[in-house]
Amino acid sequence: MVYYLIICRSLTYAQRTAQVLERVGISGSVQRAPRIISKEGCGYCVRVAERRLTDALTVLRREGMAPKQVFLQTAEGEYSEVKP
Amino acid sequence: MIYFDSAATTLEKPPQVPRISAWAMTHLASPGRGGHAPGMGAAELMYHMREQAARLFHVGDPERVVLTCNATHGLNIAIRSLVGPGGTAVISGYEHNAVTRPLYAIPGVKVKVAAGALFDPDGVYAAFEREVTPDVDAVICNHVSNVFGFIQPVDRIAKLCKKRGVPFIVDASQSAGTLDVDLEGWGAAFVAMPGHKGLYGPQGTGLLLCGGEAQPLLYGGTGSLSARQDMPDFLPDRLEAGTHNVCGAAGLLAGMRFVSQKGVGRIHAHERALAGRMMDRLERVPGVTVFRGDSQSGLCSILIDGMDCEDVGEELAHRGIAVRAGLHCAPLAHQTAGTQDTGTVRLSFSAFNCSDQVDRAAAVIRTLAGTAEK
Repeated sequence: MVYYLIICRSLTYAQRTAQVLERVGISGSVQRAPRIISKEGCGYCVRVAERRLTDALTVLRREGMAPKQVFLQTAEGEYSEVKP
Repeated sequence: MIYFDSAATTLEKPPQVPRISAWAMTHLASPGRGGHAPGMGAAELMYHMREQAARLFHVGDPERVVLTCNATHGLNIAIRSLVGPGGTAVISGYEHNAVTRPLYAIPGVKVKVAAGALFDPDGVYAAFEREVTPDVDAVICNHVSNVFGFIQPVDRIAKLCKKRGVPFIVDASQSAGTLDVDLEGWGAAFVAMPGHKGLYGPQGTGLLLCGGEAQPLLYGGTGSLSARQDMPDFLPDRLEAGTHNVCGAAGLLAGMRFVSQKGVGRIHAHERALAGRMMDRLERVPGVTVFRGDSQSGLCSILIDGMDCEDVGEELAHRGIAVRAGLHCAPLAHQTAGTQDTGTVRLSFSAFNCSDQVDRAAAVIRTLAGTAEK
């Protein structure tokens, strides 16, 4: 499965992000950001399904919570940054 | 025992408070420190706690709810964030040492006291109007005096601060859980409160609601931006270095849920009725001075002629009635009210007290007053 990881500045912010998405029916799980993409160390992200990214970004922008970084996680476990 | 010292700590808690605290100790780990189930469970609980507080105290964003050790901890952060060496603060005449000691620890600080007469909100407001000038770094005022239960005019003081562009810090130690505490409505820079009084949480918990920029008091690990050596610039991480008191937060969450379900207004009305009943009875007793006013919450202070307040406290304790005597860590409040030489005996109530307890305690105080040396 391919997922998108919405990088968040803190655990609390990630929880808030997931909650905003949950309210509109988009499932997003809070998890630790992989070390390889969290350059400043120990971060959190919200993982959403590939097909829900566009909707998720629309909702987050509307709520004033537009993410600064989003990564694509491939089925092979590789990460590549995408323009949010 | 009849416990009338809830202004210090509410002793009887809703049963779910100790239950969830005990459960958290063996089921929840450190939030933000691991992706495993006990860690994420702790994170979830912390988030629910912040959300609950945000709803209760009108904070738009749960990130602005910071878990502290107590109100004093929050007040220290707030004061240190706004008042630097040589700075100026305006405080009410009813402040606790939790405000005055952190201020006097700042080198060269100038503290102006906006003192008004006891139970005279207009007088207090007029004093703030005189003292609050645009060069002031912060205005600090408690919502309710911990000695007399005097409800101070914080709504009006908040508007004044907004108009004059001065940050406002509210000490909600005696009002959180019994009066409307409104961070956004007040436009306050900070509101500090304990978790263990009117929110029925465990000791060792408190909240700091942040409306403005805050400076850390403690530095250390936050589980975020670990590669950097400066503290994160975002809340709550900026102010929450080190492992959280998750067990305390769990109990605090349960306590706040209890307050929300019961209703802040109902709790206030109940406590105020008990305080009113107590004062009605004691005002009729010769030799008892009751400090009473219109703008008063559910606590009251008294004195018995011919008896030291500490002796009254001691005698009542021997008879199974727990009260607080002395200066209540608020010498400034006693100075303003003219009771610094005598102190007072404070009786404070909670949602778990009842009128029968008030009547029994009033009868004991009447007997004490009757036997006091005149």
